[in-house]
Amino acid sequence: MNPANQLTPSGVKNAIEIRGLDFFYGTFKGLKGINLDIAEHKVTAFIGPSGCGKSTLLRTLNRMYSLYPGQRAEGQINLYGENVLDPKQDLNLLRARVGMVFQKPTPFPMSIYDNIAFGVKLYENLSRSEMDDRVEWALSKAAIWNEVKDKLGQSGLSLSGGQQQRLCIARTVAVKPKVILLDEPTSALDPISTAKVEELVHELKNDYTVAIVTHNMQQAARVSDYTAYMYLGELIEFGQTEQIFMKPARQETEDYITGRFG
Amino acid sequence: MDKHISSQFDAELAGVSSRVLELGGLVESQIRHAVYALSQFSVEVADQVIATEKQVNAMEVDIDRELSSIIARRQPTARDLRLLMAISKITGNLERAGDESERIARMVKLIVDQGITRSLPASELRIAADMASGLLRKALDAFARLDVQTALVILKEDDLIDAEFDGFLRKLVTYMMEDPRTISASLDLLFVAKAIERIGDHAKNIAEFIIYVVKGADVRHTAMADIESAVK
Repeated sequence: MNPANQLTPSGVKNAIEIRGLDFFYGTFKGLKGINLDIAEHKVTAFIGPSGCGKSTLLRTLNRMYSLYPGQRAEGQINLYGENVLDPKQDLNLLRARVGMVFQKPTPFPMSIYDNIAFGVKLYENLSRSEMDDRVEWALSKAAIWNEVKDKLGQSGLSLSGGQQQRLCIARTVAVKPKVILLDEPTSALDPISTAKVEELVHELKNDYTVAIVTHNMQQAARVSDYTAYMYLGELIEFGQTEQIFMKPARQETEDYITGRFG
Repeated sequence: MDKHISSQFDAELAGVSSRVLELGGLVESQIRHAVYALSQFSVEVADQVIATEKQVNAMEVDIDRELSSIIARRQPTARDLRLLMAISKITGNLERAGDESERIARMVKLIVDQGITRSLPASELRIAADMASGLLRKALDAFARLDVQTALVILKEDDLIDAEFDGFLRKLVTYMMEDPRTISASLDLLFVAKAIERIGDHAKNIAEFIIYVVKGADVRHTAMADIESAVK
């Protein structure tokens, strides 16, 4: 086993422990023997060139891949001790516990209010006033309440891209997940909206565990506590973000983050 | 060092590195001239050193501006970041070594003014001065090649200059006891010796930053044995 794959942050409680994870797209092996701990209430970033498996890894954490035929994962992903790859795992419940936000904002074609309430109704039976509270709470957590509080009845699609993305984060937060997965959450946003989402990520980690995939290495450096560098389906190096960006242990990591790759 | 995907970034790093070496070359010649002025009690050469000091200061400011610009535009990481940090520190050390040569030049003028030059062991400082400027040259060579082994040698050799300084100090004390009229000029000479010793220290600091760039280990204020195990 690659020694870098065994690195785990010490003295921190883990929300997720990945052990011997392989992933297959049909016969193609997209992830190879991943061992990784995702620390609770920290931000863990996955970086690496296109096709390295970082998004694949993120999508295994809430089994998003099972929407597609021919894709399967082997090994263990323990979410607070419970293996999410267990065939008996209730996927709806899993996705409520491990929420996901995608690259492009994906608000539902309904009102801002209903965008938030929709997911909550699937899991909880709240009174009207309880739901109002939950919507306000989620929108406040996503730092967008002040911008939308006077137009909750308007379509979610009427918002700007950056606002839509924060609405999607609010929607994820609304069902009170344990872990939030962010897949390139700012790659479609302008710099100001990006900064707002990054600030939000920083806030979110007080209550949630965050895993983020990003192509933007400086973003990983800015927002994350731990960084995992992946290449060709393997975890090359994992460590504290400061260490990865100041003095990576592996030459491959150094070549990538300093822009010497390829 | 492997090339970046951005050749412009490579050019900027190479550019600022060569500016540092240029500054180093200028400081080295300042030291040489200051020591020459001392051994010949030449006011003319001393004045020249004092005048050139402005050029050293301007180059330091220039290099710092280039560094800020690269950091702002390139967001360097890992080895690149360590290189730029080190260059900033090395530049500071070179500028201070430049200050020390200016200090020597000013002392030469003071000593000459007092008119008792011949009775003092000024020429004996030459050995220490040659060692210090040699060490600085070696440090600059090691920086140009990012040569850790030479950096280690420099760290050890700086101790020799310190020993030389202690020896000279004892000698000055005997001069002052023999002839109290030399006390004032002897004290000036002491400042010169101290300046030379400081130049050696700056060379040593530069060597430490070379190790930082290459190995990522900060070896300042570290015992020699620990440094050697850090660069293994």
